[in-house]
Amino acid sequence: MIQLTNIEKYYANKGIKNYVLRLVTTTIKQGEFVSIMGPSGAGKSTLLNIIGMLEEPTYGTYEFLGENVTSLNERKRIELYRNHIGFVFQAYHLIDEMTVYENIEAPLLYKKVGSSERASRIADLLDRFNIVAKKDLFPNQLSGGQQQLVGIARALAAQPSIILADEPTGNLQSAQAEEIMELFKKLNQEDGITIIQVTHSEKNAQYGNRILHIADGVVKEDLAVLS
Amino acid sequence: MFRLNLKIAWRNLWKNKIYAAINIGGLALGLTAFLLMLLYINHEESYDTWSSDLQNVYQIREKHEFFTPDNKDHWQEISNSRVAGIIKQNVPQFTAVTKVDSEWGNGFSVKIDHADPILIKAIKDADTAFFNVFPYKFIQGDRERALKEPNTVVLKQSLAIKLYGTDHVLGKEFKLVRWRDDKGTPMKITGVVADVNTPESVTFNAISHTGDQDHDPDQPGSSHYNQVYAKSASKVDTLAANNSLQKVYIDYKKKSFAEQNINFKDIYKDGKRPGLKAIALKDVHANPPFAINWLTKLKPVIGISIFLLLVSIINFVNLATAQSVQRAKEVGVRKVLGSYKKQLVSQFLIESALQSIISLFLSIILIEVLLPAFNHHFNVELSFWYNDHLLMLMIQLVALFAFVTLLAGFYPAWVLSNYNPVAVLKGNYGNSLKGMALRNVLVVFQFIISVTFIIAIGVMQLQTKYISNKDLGFERDRLINLQTGYEQNFADKIRRIPGVQYVSTTTQVMGNAFNNKSEIIYKGQTFNLNGVSVSMDALQTLGVKLVSGRLFAKEYKQDTINAVILNEAAANLLGKNMVGKTYNKVNYDNKIISFQIVGVIKDYHNEGFDKTVLPTVYKVTKLGGTSNTNNLLVRFETKNYKGIINNIQNEWRKLYPDFPLHYQSMDEAFSNVLEENNRFMNMIILFSAVSVSLSLLGLFALSTFIAKRRTKEIAVRKILGASNVQIVNLLNKSFLILVIIANLISWPIAYILIKRWLQGFAYRIEMPIFPFLLATAVSIIIAVLTVTIQARKAAIGDPVNALKYE
Ligand SMILES: Nc1ncnc2c1ncn2[C@@H]1O[C@H](COP(=O)(O)OP(=O)(O)OP(=O)(O)O)[C@@H](O)[C@H]1O
Ligand SMILES: [Mg+2]
Repeated sequence: MIQLTNIEKYYANKGIKNYVLRLVTTTIKQGEFVSIMGPSGAGKSTLLNIIGMLEEPTYGTYEFLGENVTSLNERKRIELYRNHIGFVFQAYHLIDEMTVYENIEAPLLYKKVGSSERASRIADLLDRFNIVAKKDLFPNQLSGGQQQLVGIARALAAQPSIILADEPTGNLQSAQAEEIMELFKKLNQEDGITIIQVTHSEKNAQYGNRILHIADGVVKEDLAVLS
Repeated sequence: MFRLNLKIAWRNLWKNKIYAAINIGGLALGLTAFLLMLLYINHEESYDTWSSDLQNVYQIREKHEFFTPDNKDHWQEISNSRVAGIIKQNVPQFTAVTKVDSEWGNGFSVKIDHADPILIKAIKDADTAFFNVFPYKFIQGDRERALKEPNTVVLKQSLAIKLYGTDHVLGKEFKLVRWRDDKGTPMKITGVVADVNTPESVTFNAISHTGDQDHDPDQPGSSHYNQVYAKSASKVDTLAANNSLQKVYIDYKKKSFAEQNINFKDIYKDGKRPGLKAIALKDVHANPPFAINWLTKLKPVIGISIFLLLVSIINFVNLATAQSVQRAKEVGVRKVLGSYKKQLVSQFLIESALQSIISLFLSIILIEVLLPAFNHHFNVELSFWYNDHLLMLMIQLVALFAFVTLLAGFYPAWVLSNYNPVAVLKGNYGNSLKGMALRNVLVVFQFIISVTFIIAIGVMQLQTKYISNKDLGFERDRLINLQTGYEQNFADKIRRIPGVQYVSTTTQVMGNAFNNKSEIIYKGQTFNLNGVSVSMDALQTLGVKLVSGRLFAKEYKQDTINAVILNEAAANLLGKNMVGKTYNKVNYDNKIISFQIVGVIKDYHNEGFDKTVLPTVYKVTKLGGTSNTNNLLVRFETKNYKGIINNIQNEWRKLYPDFPLHYQSMDEAFSNVLEENNRFMNMIILFSAVSVSLSLLGLFALSTFIAKRRTKEIAVRKILGASNVQIVNLLNKSFLILVIIANLISWPIAYILIKRWLQGFAYRIEMPIFPFLLATAVSIIIAVLTVTIQARKAAIGDPVNALKYE
C-alpha cells in the first residue's frame, strides 16, 4: 500500500543542511498496524507527515496505492484525503465551533455523501463509540478522552483505508489511552483498516503488529510484534 | 455544507460578539453614509426624467451679460424672447418652441372671490405652446386647447387641491394679482395637470397665459427675457442643431444691429462672441449657469463618504485578520478532511457576506430613521421605499453588498485559506505574523484619514467663525427689506410710523443682489464698474461706513444729477484720493456725461463670502416709478420692531388689499447667504467625526485583540521581572510608530486639500498651524490611551492564569 524509497528530508539553515530523515526506505502493506517509535526530535512526526502528504520529502520517491505521489497537485491530494486517509491528532483538533455531530459529519459533506447515508453512518459511529448522548455538545464540553473518540470517529466517517495517528494518546491518562488502543486494534483486525501511529509508549506499540524504531532520522530497527 | 458553514459563521460571530458588533456596526455606519449619498445622487440624476418624451426637449441658452453676478458674458437660461420666433422659423428640427417667463419676486397673489389673497409661488406665464413642449398629463381639460385663449391658466393638481380642495376646477375663475398695485386679471382655469414624480428644472404650480409672452417688444432696441424650450420630433444631433442655432442667431444679431445702427464688430470684439445653443433638458439641472453644479459641490462629501466606508471596511479587514489565528486550526483540520482551498475561501466569504448583509439591513433601518433629518437639512425629498427607482436602487444595493463583501472578506479569506496545515496542526501558528504588515499599513491609512479629518474640521471651524464674525460693511440688525418697489406715497406713510428711522431703496442688497454693468472713462481709461442705483438715504439706511467725503443728502442739489459715491474697491481701482474727482460716462444716446465723486464708502457685502465685493459706483436716481428694484429697505430705531411691522402691514393693506406683504429681515438674508456653506460644513464635520470615531473604535478593538494575543508573552515577561509600565510601553511602542508615520503623511495631504478649500472663499483666514498640532496631539493621545488601557488590563492580570490557559 505504501512504498517509501530513499526518503530524505532536511532543513537548510544558514547554508547548513539539517537532516531530519535520511534514506528511509520501507514498505507498509494493507492491513498492517505499524507503530513508529524513537526519541524526541528523531523525525517521527516528519515521517508521518510525509506519509500523510502534509509535507513533501526533499528527496526520494513515495508510492501510495501503486501511484507515485511524491509531489502531488492539490486536487489529487485532496481526493486521497477524502477517500483513503483519516488523521488522528494528539491535540484532537476538533473544530471548536462545531458540535460532535457536525464534526463527524464534516468529512462526509466534503465527500458529498447523501444526507440519509450520512445520517445513518454518523448514527452508527456515535453508537459504536458510545457518545450518542454527547452529539449536540461542543468539543470544550467534553473530556480529553471523549474528544479523542470523536476525533477517531471523524477520521473513520469517510471510511478511509488508512489511519495516520500522531501520538493519539499523548494527552490522555492511561485508562483512556488503553480504551483508544483497544479501539485501534479492533478497527485493524475487524475492519481491516491500515493504521500507522507514532507513540512513545512501548505498551501502546504492543497493540500493533510492527514497530519502526527511528533515531536521528534513520530507521534503526523494523520489528514485528509477536502476539 | 452551505448550511453548516452558515451556522458556524453565526457561532463565530456570537463567540466574538464585541468584535462582530464593532465590525457590523461600523460597516453599517459606513454604508449608511454611502447610501445617503447614493440616494442623493440618484435624486439629483432623476431631474426631468418623469417622462420619456422629455428626451426630445431642449432648453435654449443664449450667451449674454444681463442679470449676471459679475457683469460678464455667460450662457444663460433666460434668453431674448425673440429667439423663440427665430428658432420656429429657421430651425426645422424643432417642431415646437415655447417661452416661459422666469419667476420674478416672491410669488403672485391669488384672490378667489372675496377670500383673503394668498401668495402663491411659481405661477409662470407662458405662451400657448407650453404643453406642446412639456408632456404633462392633463387630468382636466385638453392639451391643445387649454392655453389657446388669453387669461387662461392650467394648475398643477396639487395647487388645485390646495386652492379649492378638489381637482374638479375646470371653468372656475380667480383673480391673479402680480404685483402690489396690479389691478388684477381674472384667470379662467382651463386645465389641471398631474404632478410628476421626479424633480423638475422647470418648476411651476400653475402656467398662466396672459398673452404677454405672445409678442416680442416692438422696438428693436428693447428686449424681453424669458426661458425658451424647444421640442424635436425625434432625437436630434445636438452638434448639428447647435451649429444651425448659432448661424441663425448671428444672422439675427447682424440684422438687428443694422436696424439699430450698431456696428456688429464694435460689440463682438476681443474674443467676445454671440452664442445660442440648445442643451438637453436632462442636462439642465447639472449645468446651472452661475452656480457650480451639484456634482462638483458634492465631490468632497462623496469623497468623505467613500472614505467613511473605507474606514469601516479597513476595521473589518483588520479585525478579521487579527482573529484569523483563532480560525487557523479549523482551516488546518478542514484541509486534511478534504476541503479544497476555494471551498475555504468561499466559506470565509460567506462569513463576511453574513456580516455585510446584517450591516446592510442595519443601515437601511438607520436610513429610515435619519432620512427625515437629512431631508430637512438638505432641503430635499429623499425616500428609500417610495423611491421611483426602487429597482435601480436595489441593483445598486446588491452591487454595493457584493463589493463590500469582497473588499472586506477577500483578503482575510485568502490569508486564512492559505494556512499550511502542518504548521497549524503542529501548533505553532499562535505567533504567526500573517497579515501583520498589511494590518500596519491599514492602521496607518486609517490614522491618515482621521488626522486629515481632524485638521480639516479645525480649519473649517476657524473659517466659519471668521466669516460669521466678519464685518459685513453694513449694519444688518434693525433692518428689513419689504421686497417691493419704491413708491413715494407708501414710503412717506411708513416713514411717519413711530420707530421707523429710514425708508429707502437700492438696486442691490443682500438677498437680492442684482448687478448692473457700468462702463466709465477716467483719465482716458475705460473701467468696468458695478452700477447701483439708490434713493437719497439708502446708504444711511444700510448703515455703511464712510471712508472719505460724504454720503448723499437732500441738501446737495447736485446729488440727483451727477454726484456718485464709490466703494473702496472701485476707488482703489481708479487711483488715490478720489473724492472731488470726476469721470465720464457715455450715455445710451452716445452723449458724454461727467460725474463727480463725492464720497468713498467701505465695501459692503451683498453675496456670500465666496464672492469678492465688486468695484461699485452708487448713484441716486429719481426713484419711484423709474426703477422697480423690488427692495424697500426699512431701518428701525429699536430692536423690537415686531409691533412696528404690524403698523406697516396695516398701511399696506389699506393701499394694496389684493397683495399680501412679504418681507425679509437682513439677519435672515445673512443667514440664508451663510446657510448653504454651513450646511455643507456641518455635513463634512458630521461625516468626519463619524469616521474618526470609527477609526478609533477599530484601533481599540485591534489593540484589545493584540494585547490578548500577547497575554502569554506578557505573563512570561512578568515572571522574568518586567514592571507593568515596561509592559505597557512595550505594547505602545509599535502603535506609536504607526501613528507618527500617519501624522507625517497626513500633514501635507491636509495642507493641500485645505488650501484648495480655502481658496473657494474670497475672504478667508491664513492657513492656521494650530489644527495641525491639535490633530497630531489628539491622535497620539488617543492611540496611547487606547493601547494603554488594553495593555494595562493584560499586564495587571495574574500571569499564572495566562500561562495555564495555553
Ligand atoms: N520547520 C522546521 N524547520 C527546521 N527544523 C525543523 C522544522 N520542523 C521540524 N524540524 C526539526 O526536525 C526534527 C524532527 O522533528 P519531528 O517533529 O519529526 O520530531 P519528533 O520525532 O516527532 O519528536 P517528538 O517526539 O518530540 O514529537 C527536529 O529536530 C526539529 O527541530
Ligand atoms: Mg512528534
